[in-house]
Amino acid sequence: MNPLLVLDVVRFELRRSLSPGRIAIWGILVLFPIALVTAIRLLSNRALENTEDWGLALYFLIPEVVCLLGLLLWATPAVSTEVEGQTWIYLAMRRSGRNLVLVGKYLTAVLWSCSAACVATTACVMIMGSAGGLKLWFVICVLSLLSCLAHAALYIMIGTIFFRRTMVVAVSYTLVVEYGLAFVPAIANRLTINYRLRGLLADWMNWDTARTVTENIGGQESAWVHVLVLLATSTALVAASILRLTWTELPTQQEG
Amino acid sequence: MIQLEQVSKLYGTVIGANDLTVELSPGAYGIVGPNGSGKTTLINLLTGQLRPTLGKVSVFDQDPWRNRKLLRRIGLCPATDVLYPNVSAYEWVTYQVRLHDLSQADSKQFATESLAQVEMTEHMHRPMGEYSLGMRQRTKIAQALAHRPELLILDEPYNGLDPVGRHQMTQLLVKLSQQGTSLLFASHVLHEIEEITSSFLLIHGGRLLASGTAREVEQIIADTPQEVVLTGLDVAKLIPHLADQTWVDSMQLLAERTELRIGLRDPSNLYHSIADWISKDHLQIDQFQTADSNLTAVFESLLRHHRGESK
Repeated sequence: MNPLLVLDVVRFELRRSLSPGRIAIWGILVLFPIALVTAIRLLSNRALENTEDWGLALYFLIPEVVCLLGLLLWATPAVSTEVEGQTWIYLAMRRSGRNLVLVGKYLTAVLWSCSAACVATTACVMIMGSAGGLKLWFVICVLSLLSCLAHAALYIMIGTIFFRRTMVVAVSYTLVVEYGLAFVPAIANRLTINYRLRGLLADWMNWDTARTVTENIGGQESAWVHVLVLLATSTALVAASILRLTWTELPTQQEG
Repeated sequence: MIQLEQVSKLYGTVIGANDLTVELSPGAYGIVGPNGSGKTTLINLLTGQLRPTLGKVSVFDQDPWRNRKLLRRIGLCPATDVLYPNVSAYEWVTYQVRLHDLSQADSKQFATESLAQVEMTEHMHRPMGEYSLGMRQRTKIAQALAHRPELLILDEPYNGLDPVGRHQMTQLLVKLSQQGTSLLFASHVLHEIEEITSSFLLIHGGRLLASGTAREVEQIIADTPQEVVLTGLDVAKLIPHLADQTWVDSMQLLAERTELRIGLRDPSNLYHSIADWISKDHLQIDQFQTADSNLTAVFESLLRHHRGESK
């Protein structure tokens, strides 16, 4: 696969997605955690001086909510919008169209969501003042990137399996598996992305409470194991999506 | 160039293509058939978008489903509309060419040239959301042409074009055909195809009913039992003349005796005799409708031929 071609797909996808609607959604994703953090800062009777409390709130708001919401909007419908818009046939008629467009759309979704997450993190850490700090900002940004890479791959995969009701399947999966199963203290939770992200947060920030909770829910893998599993999962899911899309007869248009 | 060997395509229990066998050399061909006849299924099989349930599809001696590199040699203008509202035709066509792994410089040059071919140079930098249906149709054709394919497949390419646009499109397709590009042109309007080629594939119900030149198809129709409908106040007065003829299979008087449906084994006999009968008896006949004037009737006739009902 020609990496320059993938960049061209990303460039085209960014160009076509620069619409007022999408920019507004990006703005909402950025403003949502900022508004909540500001509200906590202004309204809380007990000043949250504890970095761990602020950090956990920020982690939940950004890598687990902002990233997932953004990716549900940008990664999940990557294929289904082309199929429903009857434009898939134009892409599928190109020599490398199917694979390149899938990877390009995946990276575009990561870019959109991760940029919103990083901007929101920067603003939130500034609002948090002394409770924030460069380390928390850096860790949340890296976790946002890993969250985007892994969740985007997951949603792209769901999108290549379910061309209809893609969003319903992706939201259901997220609620049941990523928000539900990830908290269950059983081996099954190791299959979730959020379990890995929480483990990394506790490990990199050296937070005792978070670490205890993580260890109670799951295991004691090192940070590198979590990172490797996340990257390997992302790669495997994207590769599986490519294979699935290459050998699938997608509806191209109304039969005539 | 194209070989189909007993190709069938099933969508669950629905048949999209039914036992298609045809071999086409390079050239221009029209695929004619009513809406829902299987034209698009055939196109999707030829372009590797669908895998045949049974049989073998071969384009340029390769299986289009297994060999996607083959798509570099094929250009497709689908029937469906395209709309990326905030992207210009130039950006979109360049992107489409680039996906064939051509260099950026070549992609831009090819896109510019193909948009010029379809008279879109003036508007090619405007967002596609501002285009009329005709302009979008030209843009679609430009993306099909841009990478200079050897085989150009067009599905209802005249959709949305005004008479001037249709004329220009016909001129362009004739020119491409003369320059050696093979054309496969699907339409449900016969005369659109006749302006570009005299070779047809007639499809109905997923079946290939006939193929060949217009004259060959006419001959098949002439040899096939078909129905002629006469309307007028005096149609009933033709019955005594027709009752004596051996080439008449059936007669049906309808619509308060103003419509006569005649089943014929050889319509040419009727064509020779009817003018004399009308003139001699001073009959008022308002309309004479043959299978030739009605595409559905043509297909019904061909379907009878396909079932082996011809004489």
